Amino acid sequence: METEITQQATKLRPASANGRAFASGLGTALPFLALLVVGVAFPLFGGGYWGVIATRACVYWVLVSGLNLVVGFAGQIAIGWVALLTLGAYTTSVLVAGNVMAPLSPYLALAIAALVGAVFGLIVGLPALRLRTFYFAITTLGFATIVTQVALAWQSVTGGGVGVPGPVFPEPFSSQWGFYYFCFGFAAVCTWMTANIAESRFGRALAAIRDAEVAAEASGISKPVLLGKVFLFAGATAAVAGGLFASLQSYITPDAFTLDLSILFFIAILIGGRSSILGPLLGTILLTALPEFAAPLVAWSTFLYAVLLLIIVLAIPGGISEMLDFKNRRALESNRAIVPRPELVARLFDSVPNAGTLTLDQVTLSFGGVLAIDGLDLEIRPGQLHGLIGPNGSGKTTTLNVISGYYAPQRGAVRLNGKAIPALARDQRAHMRIARTFQTPRIVGSATVLENVMIGGTIDGNGTFVESLLSLPRHRRDEAMLRDTAMLALEAVGLERLASVRADRLQHAELRFTEIARALMLRPAFLLLDEPAAGLSAEEIARLSALLQAIARAGTGVLVVEHHPDLIFDICDQVTVLNLGRTLAAGTPAQIRSHREVVNAYLGA
Amino acid sequence: MPLTRRQALASAAAAVASTVAKPAIAAKEPILIGYLPALTGPSSSTGVGINRGIQLAVQEINAAGGIDGRQIELITRDTQSDPTKAVNGAAELTRGQKVSVVFGPVNSGESLAVVPLLARTNTPQVHPCWVDTLTDPKKYPMCFRNAPTNQQIGGAANRYVVDVLKHKKVAVISDTTGYGTASVNAYVPMLKAKGAEVVYQSNVDAANPDLKPEILRMRSAGAEAIMPWSVNAGFLSRIINTRGQMEWNVPIVGQTTLGSGQTQALLEKPDYWAKVYPNNFRPVCYTPDGKLTDRTTAFLDRLKSAKIEMADTLLWWIALGYDSPRMIAEAMKNVGSEAEQIVGYLNNLKEFPGVYGDMSFTPDRHDGYPDEEVVMVEANSLKNGAFKLAPGYSA
Amino acid sequence: MVSSIVLSGTAIGCIYALIAVTYNVMFSASRVFSFTAGTLGMLGGVLGSLFIARMGLPVAIGFLLVLAGGAVLGIVTEIVAVRPVLKSLDQHLYVLSTLALALMIQQFTAIEWSTEPLPFPRLFDIARVEFDQQFWLPMLACLVVIVSLELLYRHTLIGHAFIAIAEDNYAARALGLPERRLRMTSFALAGVIGTLAGFAGGEMLLAFFANAPMLTFYGFVPVALGGMGNNRGAVVAGLMLGLFQQTANFLVGGIFASVAVFSVFIIVLLARPEGLVGAALQRRV
Repeated sequence: METEITQQATKLRPASANGRAFASGLGTALPFLALLVVGVAFPLFGGGYWGVIATRACVYWVLVSGLNLVVGFAGQIAIGWVALLTLGAYTTSVLVAGNVMAPLSPYLALAIAALVGAVFGLIVGLPALRLRTFYFAITTLGFATIVTQVALAWQSVTGGGVGVPGPVFPEPFSSQWGFYYFCFGFAAVCTWMTANIAESRFGRALAAIRDAEVAAEASGISKPVLLGKVFLFAGATAAVAGGLFASLQSYITPDAFTLDLSILFFIAILIGGRSSILGPLLGTILLTALPEFAAPLVAWSTFLYAVLLLIIVLAIPGGISEMLDFKNRRALESNRAIVPRPELVARLFDSVPNAGTLTLDQVTLSFGGVLAIDGLDLEIRPGQLHGLIGPNGSGKTTTLNVISGYYAPQRGAVRLNGKAIPALARDQRAHMRIARTFQTPRIVGSATVLENVMIGGTIDGNGTFVESLLSLPRHRRDEAMLRDTAMLALEAVGLERLASVRADRLQHAELRFTEIARALMLRPAFLLLDEPAAGLSAEEIARLSALLQAIARAGTGVLVVEHHPDLIFDICDQVTVLNLGRTLAAGTPAQIRSHREVVNAYLGA
Repeated sequence: MPLTRRQALASAAAAVASTVAKPAIAAKEPILIGYLPALTGPSSSTGVGINRGIQLAVQEINAAGGIDGRQIELITRDTQSDPTKAVNGAAELTRGQKVSVVFGPVNSGESLAVVPLLARTNTPQVHPCWVDTLTDPKKYPMCFRNAPTNQQIGGAANRYVVDVLKHKKVAVISDTTGYGTASVNAYVPMLKAKGAEVVYQSNVDAANPDLKPEILRMRSAGAEAIMPWSVNAGFLSRIINTRGQMEWNVPIVGQTTLGSGQTQALLEKPDYWAKVYPNNFRPVCYTPDGKLTDRTTAFLDRLKSAKIEMADTLLWWIALGYDSPRMIAEAMKNVGSEAEQIVGYLNNLKEFPGVYGDMSFTPDRHDGYPDEEVVMVEANSLKNGAFKLAPGYSA
Repeated sequence: MVSSIVLSGTAIGCIYALIAVTYNVMFSASRVFSFTAGTLGMLGGVLGSLFIARMGLPVAIGFLLVLAGGAVLGIVTEIVAVRPVLKSLDQHLYVLSTLALALMIQQFTAIEWSTEPLPFPRLFDIARVEFDQQFWLPMLACLVVIVSLELLYRHTLIGHAFIAIAEDNYAARALGLPERRLRMTSFALAGVIGTLAGFAGGEMLLAFFANAPMLTFYGFVPVALGGMGNNRGAVVAGLMLGLFQQTANFLVGGIFASVAVFSVFIIVLLARPEGLVGAALQRRV
């Protein structure tokens, strides 16, 4: 199945686009290659002192690369991550010094520190799932203080205020440049691994959690599971960075792990920009090297970092990566038209979805004292277009939200093929092949249109997080499959020319069609559309109709919530009219159009 | 490690050769001395005091023609009381500036990180930090301490509390720096060995504004003397103030900073300074008949004419700062500025005449301060920068 | 021992409660938590020491200047760190902008004032007693602020306007309430309360730049536990926090006290993310 779609997609993609793709790939890789060359050749032109600074930058980057996934990609405001640096530094040093058990080899100690860091990364990060942003930020600060206090108090192990010598790595890493290459190696590997994640379904899913959480859930992305993996990884890299830091310092005391360091890591990511590897990498190098240029700068360094942060937040929230994004400065053609190709829809589906019927069975939902839905019966059959109309406040969107799993009805149930589906399992809907679009388009503005669409197919990837980290074959197959399917979906909705454009540059109508393409990635058995025609021109509505009809013909059961009765009457097989949460009328368009009560309450003469 | 005869001959030969072989131009190059004080930050009182002495000494040496015509250039890197910055600074001084010798850091917490680093780069180092493990002729053959050790200091203080004041129940308190922690760890066993009972011991964050809980716990435990070990003037002043506010009349015996002008300035009431007995050093203290040594008197005059401020610091810090570059210059004048030469000279130094003490080193002992010169003084006897010996203190 | 714990625990609890109120006042005007609340508390102490101890101004003048400074800083926060990001689509930028501003102020204070705690002047030159001014000053300040806020919100037009803006922003604007001016006034008020907390607590906390992160954390705990925007909950939670902390301090000592406070905080918060009193968050889809 994959190969067939890949073949179709390659046929559709002109040869020049292939060449362009290669060139843009090289363009993305070029800065990294340049840094790699500079880094490897550094000992040749950098003196001993700058070697220490360069080593320090590499060590910091090892931590920041992992934290970048948490802060830059997933958007979690984890300010106190220095706690994990402290943990890693002490674990490695204590194990090598032999304060707790027989001394271990530094490599083994570093590996153990990574494991400890992973576990604690999870512990520190998990409150993010329960707490609001600001609360989570404060708790991470609290963790940072706690770890330092414990290091001070646990004298028998950590030496307390006296501290403990850092590990010395054996030849060839014990000389200055040997150790530099050791740290540089880790930094390079971390860059590679996190770049792999960035270009994987996990990286896109993280961005979705950050910028369009509702859409992420609808695409089947489980926030706890994904964040858990990322916290494990970020904790591990931070701990490894800690071990390297302890070795670089040659001696660690609790007061070496200041809040200022935490701020440095955090700000490096923010000035670097979100969903970027290069940005935070440059940010880390900049912030590590900046204070060294002038002695007064050392005292004012944290002040400068804060000023930089403020400027970035107010002026360039996208950070360095946005400044370097030359591709997206090019003007887009004006008077763009969205020309869907409905005939391509069928090619997306390899088989007719066969999940039975989706029914609402006497669903009743109230919010406090307000009765939003009162005993609603609804049936969506495969291959059918079902319209849901009614005045404002009649409960149309609420009905969609009940099906999506945002609210649990007090009475009644949503059934798939007769069996009730769990009321609040929002991220399970995608697995049931129930897809939806939203009243206001929920997209990741900083990602390209293609990436946004690929988010829709996240659950169809088979590779694990680790396989993506290491760019193993299954990850690459997933990427190829998702990319080709997404391109096909974009062709079908008529947006293929905008595939590599940042989504926040699109017009409103284009965003709506993008959401449809994203929903199509699931080859949905049921597609729920929330006012898809709002803000569309007459021409676009006509094209939307043709597209929706093609989707229904491919076997999907489509539920359209709409304000434009014309669209509904044109294409729907069945129409339900809601008023004040109750069914006012249900039937074919012809029946509804002439229904007296509907005309009185809603349609007018 | 003791020099073999061959090594001694070799270094002597090298010394001669280098003095002869140096071309005329090179002989005028400045001698670079690296200097790692904590001039800012929570533990900066020592560094600020030492700095005044060191600057004066370097000026005087350079004004007198330097070392064999070469001027001393003091390259300063403020550690800001931060071990990480101390490491950065040490790396820059040795690898970037390529200094001949490093003086400092002046705080033990920073030295714990820097001493092994300088040993790895084979740079001679002289420092005035007290923590015992900061010299080790085997591990750190090029590192010398021109100040007393914790053992010497604690020994004198403990002797005063237990043997002179005759108090058996003692409260030991320090801050959470490396110096504070190491001191408590060293002194508690020493007290117990003398038969005293340590009823309270704790490391407290120096920035803690409210020390009442700690002092109350000391009192409840029946302490008869408080022994604080910290160079943080604010912390020490708060201990003294809280004792005064609670009207608890026990002696405070401990770190020299208890007597510094900085601490004095932070006291709520001048009479709180009564019954406070810090360490100090005999050469810079008044003898029982109220006199200072000639060397010290001359030094005080020199400070006055150079308009160097004394009221907000301690005389012995300034004196130590003054003695240190003079000792290093003496070494270089005699044998040259190569690392091996300096180390070789220092290893055999006998009673280098310093204002605050005469330094002696051997290849097996890199702690240069003589035991018998550590004394206890009375804080509120401060006059013209010097103190009187504490009551009942004889030796 | 017990009397010391009760006195210092209540006093410091009042300081924490006042910082929590500062958070709440800013939140109720803008739906935004600002990292600058703790910084305002810190500045109350530092500016107080600067004006009265170092510059020698009379206590009353110094006090008024400190409050004025707080108001100015509150307005600056609103203009620089809050207003620009309220318009943005990204809801969480305010966390970063207020963090940046708070850090800038803290670092500036550390470098220009001192990195060490410096003494705060004794405001009333009377003898030290057990129930000393360092304890009753924060309590008095807390009482005055709470009573004044109640009167403000209940009985004055501007107080009603504040509540309107907080409850339903759109409706309030539709009614013609000057939203921006009201928000700025709210932040100015928050600035006054924050610096008042620091000034009243100066004799206990001294003039120390690192009070800022400490108050940012400990001042937020009552907000989290008492419910967002709930001033009464904040006071109760603040007092409980102060007493708990001081009990731990006096009985076991500083390090364990902060570990204990933090652990209890995180456990309670994980169990009830909306706080002990607050209402659960409703999602908007």
